[in-house]
Amino acid sequence: MRIRRLGIGVIAMGVAILSAPVVHAQDTAQPKILRVGVTGTYATMNPFTAYHLGDTEVGRVMYAFLTSYSQQDYSPAPGLADKWQVSSDKLTWTYHIRSGMKWSDGQPITAKDVAWTFNKIMTDKTAATANGNFVTDFDTVTAPDDSDVVIKTKAPQATMLALDIPIVPEHVWSKVTDVGKYDNLQYPVVGSGPFTLTNFTQGQSITLKANPDYYGDKPAYDQLEFRHYDNEDAAVQGLKNGDVDVVSGLTPTQYAALQNTPNITVNKARGGRQNDLLVNYQAQTNTNQPVGDANPVLKDPKVRLAIAQSIDVKTLVDKAYGGLAEPGSGMVPAVFGTWHWSPDASQEQKFDLTAAAKTLDDAGYQKGADGVRLDKSGKPITLRLVIDSGVPNENASAQFIKGWLGQVGIGVTVQALSSDAVTDAGSKGQYDLQLNGWTGNPDPDALLSIQICANRPDADGNGNTENFMCDPQIDALYKQQLSETDQAKRVKDVKDLQARLYSLDSSIVIAYPNVLEAYRSDRWASFGLQPAQGGSITHQNGYYGYLLAKPVDSAAAGGGNTGLIVGIVVVVVIVLGGGAFLLSRRRRASADERE
Amino acid sequence: MTSAIVWRRRRAAAGRLWDQFRSQRGGLFGLVILAVIVLLALLAPVITDPSGLDVTHATGGALKPPGDGFLLGTDETGRSVLLLLLWGSRVSLLVGFAATLLCVGIGTIVGIVMAHFGGWVQAVLMRVTDFFLVLPSLVLAAVLSTVLTPGIGSIIIAIAATAWPTTARLVRSQTLAVESRPYIERSWALGAGHWHVIGKHVLPAVLPLVFANTTLTVGQSIITESTLAFLGLGDPNSASWGEMLHNALQVGAVTARAWWYLLPPGLAIGVVVLAFMMCGRALEAVLNPRLRER
Repeated sequence: MRIRRLGIGVIAMGVAILSAPVVHAQDTAQPKILRVGVTGTYATMNPFTAYHLGDTEVGRVMYAFLTSYSQQDYSPAPGLADKWQVSSDKLTWTYHIRSGMKWSDGQPITAKDVAWTFNKIMTDKTAATANGNFVTDFDTVTAPDDSDVVIKTKAPQATMLALDIPIVPEHVWSKVTDVGKYDNLQYPVVGSGPFTLTNFTQGQSITLKANPDYYGDKPAYDQLEFRHYDNEDAAVQGLKNGDVDVVSGLTPTQYAALQNTPNITVNKARGGRQNDLLVNYQAQTNTNQPVGDANPVLKDPKVRLAIAQSIDVKTLVDKAYGGLAEPGSGMVPAVFGTWHWSPDASQEQKFDLTAAAKTLDDAGYQKGADGVRLDKSGKPITLRLVIDSGVPNENASAQFIKGWLGQVGIGVTVQALSSDAVTDAGSKGQYDLQLNGWTGNPDPDALLSIQICANRPDADGNGNTENFMCDPQIDALYKQQLSETDQAKRVKDVKDLQARLYSLDSSIVIAYPNVLEAYRSDRWASFGLQPAQGGSITHQNGYYGYLLAKPVDSAAAGGGNTGLIVGIVVVVVIVLGGGAFLLSRRRRASADERE
Repeated sequence: MTSAIVWRRRRAAAGRLWDQFRSQRGGLFGLVILAVIVLLALLAPVITDPSGLDVTHATGGALKPPGDGFLLGTDETGRSVLLLLLWGSRVSLLVGFAATLLCVGIGTIVGIVMAHFGGWVQAVLMRVTDFFLVLPSLVLAAVLSTVLTPGIGSIIIAIAATAWPTTARLVRSQTLAVESRPYIERSWALGAGHWHVIGKHVLPAVLPLVFANTTLTVGQSIITESTLAFLGLGDPNSASWGEMLHNALQVGAVTARAWWYLLPPGLAIGVVVLAFMMCGRALEAVLNPRLRER
């Protein structure tokens, strides 16, 4: 009897599924939603502490910035400030804030909000977590009136039109006592960007509503939604089923497979991200206390050189990235043209396993009985290579690196950890080698700032360093480029810095992967790509991808609905059939069991 | 003289057991499959070239369908899926057997000790067993394999640590049943110590059940190992079937419809587990008179 009721329940559920969408379809005033399938980490919506790629992307649509990067070519463009001027000594910048702007709660946006945000980052160490690099040389930031912000710097600063800092409302944030603990989830979250955050459920979804008070273009739809998927294949299935409209971060395999899928259009763009292999040889806190448990053999530059010589970036691009990446060299990705550096013939540490073996032979690391070289104390050299088990190409890259290093006599054990555990191991220096990646800005400052001594972590592991880099030459070059306002000279500094970094073999850059994304072309006609030619929809240095998304006209959208109804009918038939089958089977089974 | 008799009797008993097992067609079938798979796993280094596992020596194209010298196609780095499958069986079987050995070992000891000594020993051990029994085992295994140093060893420990309570309870109930029999009482009366009772009477009586249970546990351990690896908690240094599935999903083999990368490891797991189950069920039927058809 109980079993039978279950069967009826299944049928009732089927009927419910059948009837629900019919009501739905009649409702014409449905909000138009752009759904984005994402797989990465979304940790916090607090713009002062958000530095994960996903968090900053949401921050970009929630808050306006003082200036922005143009959609066309990343050149500086107006943001909250519509004009600006700099004094002849290059030390005083005056920004004019456009008038009549409002926060999403109706309060006016003034120069005071801007000044408050910058001052907060300058005075509160926690508030400087994400964007502290922009204000280290600031002397004072003041707002003499509601429409002018005056920033005085201690030295000329090259990034004054690339201050990548979300401006927050003073009337909300001045009441926050501890910025580090504030989750910024008082819905709707008061913001100034094109969208307002209305819900954030970690690991599930992020919902943002179009902000009618935004000063710029208004989106052509009502709601932006980020939906979390556990893995990329699930996200792609979501795209195929129509659960989401845009999916980013495709693997090369998926990209190739989706090229021939109806109703789906793929987009490929040069990426602003660099993926590299970290060699942990100087893990220390910002007070020079050694941390971590790296193999001391890595302190020998010859060993690091041999590792660099054992890595064939071209093969990695071909095999681990399916050819959809640019081979790596300098820290700054090739897409940022002028700032990108690549070694000349005399500097290049070419892939050459024989040379790598010779480097190690000359340095006195002899092979032991099993072909693994011994360190100076006679122990076999085995290095841990930490990878993120959730990042598709890292396992393949790791297998290649393991293979090559094995051939020159360095043992490698791959450790696949969850992304949280990788971050943790990274900040504590608990790795020998690690696959990593950072996304750059059109201005190279932020990407270079992760290589200076001051950004090494404190005793608690809080800091914004990539690989504990601390080198006087790099620090000097970093300072020099930041205060250099002559573009040509700054380019030279930035390139010199990358050359120095390259010669230290601390972060061996493997590739600049392409951004691979796909969207439902039966629902969305176009997106605002950045750069406008060959750019990407997601992970921009802007919000144009989402802001300028254009839905296809409603007539065409009807087709999607028919498909949905047909799909539901099919599902219901299957469910009903299955229910009936289950019922009859159960009955037969119970007959068999009767004595 | 007596030992010769004992041995003759044991041989005869084993012979009877084999006869009964042989009469179970399913069990025999499972055994044959297992024998073939174990043989292939053991011979993998002889019949194949392990250098093909090194991605830097891979010759095939990325995710190529079967054919062209690759019987089961290639993975994303151009390695032969068949080769990975063969070598994967070694890891899966090793983890399956080792975890089971550990888990059945712990379970048997704890179970016998609980039932034999009773009193507060039983009260304490029983609560510990219950504690592990109510914990969601997959979550516990996942947590353990992340906390311990990554590697096959930790996975074995993680599986064993979560799977032993069932064996412990099973062994406990069997021990209770055995110890209530008159011949145990006679032993006590003749002055036997704990060691003698457990070693000479309880253990031999419990072992057949433990053995049947072991065969079933191996299957479960293989599934748990595959699940952990599939979730990205495996050891990327060794190609196991779960690891293959994990990688396949990571690179997007589902979207690319690369069935030759997804199906073989999935089917292999299914077949091996089924074979163990068939053997285990047959053994159970042979050893448990109540399940035997007369």
